[in-house]
Amino acid sequence: MIAIAGPNLPLELLEATGRFAGAVPFDPQRETPVASQWVENKFLPWAHPVIEAWAAGEYDHLDQVLFSRADDTSQRLYYYACELQRRGLIAGPEPMILDIAKIPRELSRDRTIMKLRELGERLGVGEDALEAGIAKANAKRAEPVADDPRPVCVLSGTAAPDHRLRDAIGATGFATLGQTVVEEWLSLGEHVEQGTGDPFAALGRKLHHAPSSRSMADRGEMLTRVIKEHAAKAVILWRVEEDEDQGWHLPAERAAIDAAGIPGLVLTRRDWLARDGAIDEITEFLKEVQG
Amino acid sequence: MSRSANQRSRKMLSCTAEATAYQKGFGKRLKKRVVDDREPYAIVQADVPHEIFHAMDIPIVTNQWWSAYISAKQLSGAYFDAMVAKGYPSNGCKYCSLGLACTLANDPENAPWGGLPSPAIMVARLTCDCIQNVFGMWAKELGSELFAMEAPAWEHKELDWYAHSRTEWERVYQPDRIAHMAAETQELIALLEERTGRDFDMARFVRLMERINEQEGYVWEAAQAIGKARPSPISIAEQMPNTMIPQWHRGSDWAVAHAKKFRDQVLERIERGEGASENEKIRLMWIGAGVWHDPGFYQALEDNLGAVFVWSMYMPFAGPAYLRDLKDKPLDALASRICAINEQLHLPPWMNGWMTSEAERCGIDGCVMLLPPDNRLSQSGTNLTALALEEAGVPVLKIDADMVNANIWDHDRMVAMVEGFVRERVIG
Repeated sequence: MIAIAGPNLPLELLEATGRFAGAVPFDPQRETPVASQWVENKFLPWAHPVIEAWAAGEYDHLDQVLFSRADDTSQRLYYYACELQRRGLIAGPEPMILDIAKIPRELSRDRTIMKLRELGERLGVGEDALEAGIAKANAKRAEPVADDPRPVCVLSGTAAPDHRLRDAIGATGFATLGQTVVEEWLSLGEHVEQGTGDPFAALGRKLHHAPSSRSMADRGEMLTRVIKEHAAKAVILWRVEEDEDQGWHLPAERAAIDAAGIPGLVLTRRDWLARDGAIDEITEFLKEVQG
Repeated sequence: MSRSANQRSRKMLSCTAEATAYQKGFGKRLKKRVVDDREPYAIVQADVPHEIFHAMDIPIVTNQWWSAYISAKQLSGAYFDAMVAKGYPSNGCKYCSLGLACTLANDPENAPWGGLPSPAIMVARLTCDCIQNVFGMWAKELGSELFAMEAPAWEHKELDWYAHSRTEWERVYQPDRIAHMAAETQELIALLEERTGRDFDMARFVRLMERINEQEGYVWEAAQAIGKARPSPISIAEQMPNTMIPQWHRGSDWAVAHAKKFRDQVLERIERGEGASENEKIRLMWIGAGVWHDPGFYQALEDNLGAVFVWSMYMPFAGPAYLRDLKDKPLDALASRICAINEQLHLPPWMNGWMTSEAERCGIDGCVMLLPPDNRLSQSGTNLTALALEEAGVPVLKIDADMVNANIWDHDRMVAMVEGFVRERVIG
């Protein structure tokens, strides 16, 4: 079985292996005395429970764990997992990395495609199987989403550890548009071209283009688009202390919220488990919005 | 809170003052070319192929050098505050963003050079989650364009990479990574030719690469000698400028001659049995970037404890990271240098493999390791390296501090912390 520990990975290819186990399971709340000896505190906080679980043998049922270069914590953790295994400090599955290049340039796109082909070869997935995997994923993408009559609150920023922020938003009568870490990793993202004759190239182009913490997408524009598409009534920008990427977009995102003319709550440098009063602040803010 | 003694460090070598003076003069010459004469120039990260710019005689302002320059003028605190006032969170990575902060502060009266004019191009390797944001925004503020370079994943791992990096670089650095970096470099050359009107001359570039090998060979030779010598002939306060300043100008006549002079002066001191301290009892290793705003920190414990910082990464790194047999493939050789320059210092197994080997080579008694609180890249690999050093019998002290942010540096507290560590863990 193969599991993932990072975003922007080729779920279509992984499904086509017939051995895809989804995201590595982890408990965001667990104590991490072992992992914290090895993993520094500026890594995104999912890294510590993942390594703790790995060290405890909880991934021993897996053959491989695939990390992603589209995210800095994920790509660094790949090297840590390799080194910890080399030193005999952890056992379990083989760490692998997909070298997704994000610079909007032909060279980077071609490298991503080349690395995707190598991954396919390594995992025994040929073109036909991948084409079928893409078709299956596109069918899922096309499934209708159930209508939710509630007003939409965009929860943007760091992917949440679990549903705690969404539950707080839901309790005030809003529908949440935002993802947990695992939802982000398992998100199918945009449609992939079918019938191109080269499914690896088609999927590689999508991976290269998809926004991630390492991509050069304009987050202000992205937020504006989301607000418009979903006619959002409020925005919460929630970012944890360890998030190195997203803070840089804060001025552009504030401007996007202002331009949309909807209320926004900005919570930066926050605790990943929301033990810092974030739930109360969100509740109070949305109650005010509801008037 | 900011208490920096900012004491001058004690210097033993005449070439140290010459290097500093050269750099001061270089700063003036660079300012003339960039600000007064408005030559097309580039703002670049330290880990991009400077060799290309040097070969094309395009002036470059290196972000890390510019940060140190701003920091040395005690302006970092004010500029970071200005960045927060513009709406950025206060925990952004400090090391790479001080230049952006200076531009955002728009403070022509106090900023070095009155601030930077618009460069022809900005170049950064994407080694973290921050840098494409920092350089992207900085380019936008300055009305320029970012040429980003990939930092490809490195699946081929050799713990003793430093022993093979000069001769077996194709294998050590992974052929497809080298090919990618070389292809990006060729695109960069084409862009620079278009933007600056200057031609890339392969023969000149090859000559430069050969001269860089000569220069770094001298530094490597001196580093080997320092590792063996007891007492250490110089402290890291002299190793850093004599390595780094020529490295900013690598391959130039001045840089090669300076490296040779530096080697000669180091060897002469060893020959005479002269030490950085008359009282060397403890040999310390410094892991992390230099604390540029408080150079006296490194020598604060020499007199009373005989604790001498004899190792920092800059000088010994010159050999394994820079020396490359060209093998008639000079662009590939350069790519192999650049495609790992950051990774070797911040990722396992390269970081811990090399530093543990260096500790053994240099007879290190204790290690002080910098952990910048807001910088994942700089923190990265430190815990595993500390573990490896401890297992090798080298006690490690980790300190939370930032190399450019004087706001969170307290000289007396830091010296006391190191003193306590030396007394308890090293002498103890």
